[in-house]
Amino acid sequence: MNTSLFISSLIFAILIPLSAYADSARVITIDNAVREDCRFLSPIKVKVRLNDILDVLSKEGDWIRVRFKGSKGCIHKSAVDEKSVDISGVSGTKTTSASRDEVALAGKGFNPEVEKTYRSKHPDLDFQAVDRIEEYKIPDEGLSKFIKSGGLKQP
Amino acid sequence: MKKLLSLFCILMLLAGCSSVGLQDVSKHMDMLTTTASAAQKASRPITDEEEYYIGRAVAARILSSFSLSKNRKLSEYVNHVGLSISLHSEKPHTHGGYHFAILESTEMNAFACPGGTIFVTKGMVNAAKSEDELAAVLAHEIAHVNHRDGISAIKKSRWTEALTIIGTKAAREYGSQGLSQLTTIFEGSIDDIVKTLVVNGYGRSQEYDADKTALDYLSKAGYDPSALKAFLDRIIAGGKASEGGIMKTHPATTDRIGNVMENMPSTGADSSYVRKRTDRFISFLR
Repeated sequence: MNTSLFISSLIFAILIPLSAYADSARVITIDNAVREDCRFLSPIKVKVRLNDILDVLSKEGDWIRVRFKGSKGCIHKSAVDEKSVDISGVSGTKTTSASRDEVALAGKGFNPEVEKTYRSKHPDLDFQAVDRIEEYKIPDEGLSKFIKSGGLKQP
Repeated sequence: MKKLLSLFCILMLLAGCSSVGLQDVSKHMDMLTTTASAAQKASRPITDEEEYYIGRAVAARILSSFSLSKNRKLSEYVNHVGLSISLHSEKPHTHGGYHFAILESTEMNAFACPGGTIFVTKGMVNAAKSEDELAAVLAHEIAHVNHRDGISAIKKSRWTEALTIIGTKAAREYGSQGLSQLTTIFEGSIDDIVKTLVVNGYGRSQEYDADKTALDYLSKAGYDPSALKAFLDRIIAGGKASEGGIMKTHPATTDRIGNVMENMPSTGADSSYVRKRTDRFISFLR
């Protein structure tokens, strides 16, 4: 074995565990979607929910190419929180626990628990009407058609 | 060979660090990260998720003064117009998304709840004469959401107090006392926002910025930005500028028109489509 090959192999063996980091992104909206192309209203590849962790593959302007549950596609940057996560496996379950901590910390403050207490103090407030407003969804197809027929710009 | 042996020893030492020593380093890093997180948390702004829960409570408070329109066709239309604009904003996705709802009131008014729920009164919809004018009203409200103007209405001392409670309990579940204290602060925050939205209005600069941003959204979405000026002009002409509702909480309309004129984008909209959109606006109002 020549000297340079020996040294290269050693350095490689040392650095592998130190460099096994990959970019990931946590979904920060209640629900969202990974889309076929990097534009709004493009066909949905897979639906995602709050705190789902997506693998980041690359970036295209305000869009991020990601992989989730075997599906590859695009998600807008405003729907996720990006972070480098240890995926080496050398540290055992560290990746999972780090994410749980992050999620737990993010959940502190004004959260569903606080809303529940506030609602019990104000039974007169109609939160069910607020729920109805939020549950009312406009399908992508209908919105795309509306935009097109009105001569508006596709987002 | 000696050199090679020395290098081998150094590399083995480094390797040792990477397998055993790194565990200790990792522990220290964890501690540092926890401390850093606690320090960061102590001064963090209100998150998007918190903004969402604040917005829900503000919406519930507004609905205690106004009833929700049952006109599903018109609500659907207003949602289409609003979403066609919000997707062109700086923040096309909020935690809970954008939602647009109509309030049964003849008063001319619109409210942007933090997080993305936007109310517009029937009086306001009727005051618009085209889809582009309705879009201008909604674009102004979307700008308030994106600028987090509702959140900025919360007294600073309230959030500082909330952070103290959150910070001390960050590593574990807060008890019933902490929850009760946080709920009181939450309640106060909702009061601050509702008072600003309904009684006092935002500051003049916030309104001017919202108009300026609205012009940008309208242009990006393909609506005619001059519709905002046309809408304000008609309010003055109709003598509605001195009435209540939105006029009570917004700067003098003549000043707003000056600001809008100054920031008007040079690109207009295709007039044939403006007419087409006006026709569909009228059809939904019938």
